[in-house]
Amino acid sequence: MDFDDTPEQKALREAVAALGRRYGHEYFVAKAKSGGHQTELWAEAGKLGYLGANLPAEYGGAGGGITELAIVAEELAAAGCPLLLIVVSPAIAGTVIARHGTEQQRRHVLPGIADGSTKVAFAITEPEAGSNFHRLGTVARRDGDDWLLRGSKAFISGIDECDLVLVVARTEDAATGKLKPALFLVPTDAPGLSRTPLEMEVVAPEKQWLLYLDDVRVPATALVGGSTDAGLPALFAGLNPERITIAASAVGTGRYALERAAGYAKARAVWGRPIGTHQGVAHPLAHAQIQVELARLMVAKAAARYDAGRDLDAGTAANMAKYAAAEASALAVDTAIQAMGGNGMATEYGVATLLGVTRVTRIAPVSREMILNFVAQHVLGQDRSY
Amino acid sequence: MNIVVLVKQVPDSGAERELRSDDQTIDRSSANNVLNEMDEYAVEEALKLQEALGGEVTVLTMGPEQAGEAIRKALQMGPDKAVHVLDGALHGSCAVATSKVLAAALRTLNPDLVLAGAESTDGRVQVMPHMIAERLGIAALTGARKLTVDGGTLTVERQTEEGYEVVTAATPAIVSVWDTINEPRYPSLKGIMAAKKKPVQTLSLADLGISPDEVGFAGSTSTVVESTKRPPRQAGTKVTDSGDGGVQLVEFLATERFV
Ligand SMILES: Cc1cc2nc3c(=O)[nH]c(=O)nc-3n(C[C@H](O)[C@H](O)[C@H](O)COP(=O)(O)OP(=O)(O)OC[C@H]3O[C@@H](n4cnc5c(N)ncnc54)[C@H](O)[C@@H]3O)c2cc1C
Repeated sequence: MDFDDTPEQKALREAVAALGRRYGHEYFVAKAKSGGHQTELWAEAGKLGYLGANLPAEYGGAGGGITELAIVAEELAAAGCPLLLIVVSPAIAGTVIARHGTEQQRRHVLPGIADGSTKVAFAITEPEAGSNFHRLGTVARRDGDDWLLRGSKAFISGIDECDLVLVVARTEDAATGKLKPALFLVPTDAPGLSRTPLEMEVVAPEKQWLLYLDDVRVPATALVGGSTDAGLPALFAGLNPERITIAASAVGTGRYALERAAGYAKARAVWGRPIGTHQGVAHPLAHAQIQVELARLMVAKAAARYDAGRDLDAGTAANMAKYAAAEASALAVDTAIQAMGGNGMATEYGVATLLGVTRVTRIAPVSREMILNFVAQHVLGQDRSY
Repeated sequence: MNIVVLVKQVPDSGAERELRSDDQTIDRSSANNVLNEMDEYAVEEALKLQEALGGEVTVLTMGPEQAGEAIRKALQMGPDKAVHVLDGALHGSCAVATSKVLAAALRTLNPDLVLAGAESTDGRVQVMPHMIAERLGIAALTGARKLTVDGGTLTVERQTEEGYEVVTAATPAIVSVWDTINEPRYPSLKGIMAAKKKPVQTLSLADLGISPDEVGFAGSTSTVVESTKRPPRQAGTKVTDSGDGGVQLVEFLATERFV
């Protein structure tokens, strides 16, 4: 068992951290509050090959693993400028297309995802189907050689800055009449596809949207894998990368908040000595630090298993990593705020700005309850209640 | 245009650095060793010239085994290959002895242009480019904040305390650069992965035809006899504002000759 980064991973970590520091949390907050996007950071990270870390070299990626992409997500978050669309574009969409797309789809989208010039959103959640995706109501119907997509999607992140959206719909199985998932690559400007913004209490440059698909017509080549049988495995292929990268990002945010608070506690003197000398301040920070570091270890384990091709083993670890990282980063931000007193809530000190982002990680992309269900059922062997 | 960039591994200038108590050389074992900061600017300048003019960029270092890390770091930015002069007898070499070794290595590489950082953050002597130029009989354009190449002519804006001087020379020449010359790139992930496979040639003193007594402690023109730690920082002056804070501040600045 090796707990250290390889020299290349270490170099990547340092380079991404340096890039992140040049942008920093003020950049993130300024973009979030002005309704802008982290366009410059995204473009630069893409050009340097960081966003395509996990994608195959023959399609423009760096040929690394999810371990490398997780390093990118973690270090940008640790610099205070997390890129949520890493989770969506290269991690989910990139993996789904690389593993289950047709050759034509790989050639068409992967190079752009890898260098950041193409962004792909992911749309599975619906107003009536979140945790339970068996209830998806977006349906794909054949019309000649084309497909017509109809339904609505909720909470879709960043669609306004994406070129394509990977839509999870359902098709009727010709033989059984049962509905099964099918994934489609839909241009965000496709006729019939419209959107309205959801007002959210989250300070982040990526906004959430309601999508309406009103008989959106796409050609047969838009169906991921070219067959309706590809849907379910394609959908599952995206889950581990999604969980691992969101967990890595959460860990980074936890590190960022604790670093801020630690610096503050060392400098701020209320009773003549730094507040960090009071165990009432230092111990909660130390406790949060331990939680973040433990979560980080689980992220590394999940990523290592995934990169070793052990999808099933990786699944348990990825779920646990996602759970632990979400809890740890929410704790870290809350603890950091407490240590910083009133300044903890001041925008200038750049910690309370992360309350929304870290709180969301306990809900999305999969809620803590659904992970607890998974562990209860698959690790502890309990019967499911739903 | 074939370019050789001189790089050096140094202890991180952001941390406390120490000399070894036994031989007064830099303690590398306890330090976080990094690529000398100014050298990144030299590498960047080389890569920009390569992008414009073609040719090959080679990184050259002299240093112990672990200086290989600085080579990798430089290669990650994009140079094609590296040469590492590695020999146990080099330990303790002064600047003059080092210049002899680097000049010998450069003769085997025969570059059109040698680029170097204007100084290393450990030694800070700033004389290496001049000594190498002297040994090779080529021009030294030092302390550049701008470099342009026109055929075989180099033009440099040489940064001085008052402003800058414009100096020119014909290739081959050596140019040392300050951190005002460019903005070094971050290594791309492909660059990081590719660096692992780039050729690094190791040369010994024997390969360069230099005898061990010409370098190291024996062959050095200067020896560090003794060293004393920097005294701990004194507590600063605190100005308590009771109406006359502004006056007190100005007085402080005036007595310290800041204004
Ligand atoms: C900021 C943000 C960004 C998002 N981005 C995207 C995106 O880009 N694309 C996308 O498709 N979706 C996105 N989502 C949606 C997100 O994935 C869903 O919100 C999440 O899956 C939960 O679904 P839901 O909101 O419908 O909650 P529900 O499924 O309605 O659940 C409500 C509550 O009940 C609990 N619950 C449900 N079932 C059970 C059970 N069996 N046992 C115990 N508890 C249960 C849940 O844990 C939760 O606490 C985003 C959400 C947010 C907040």
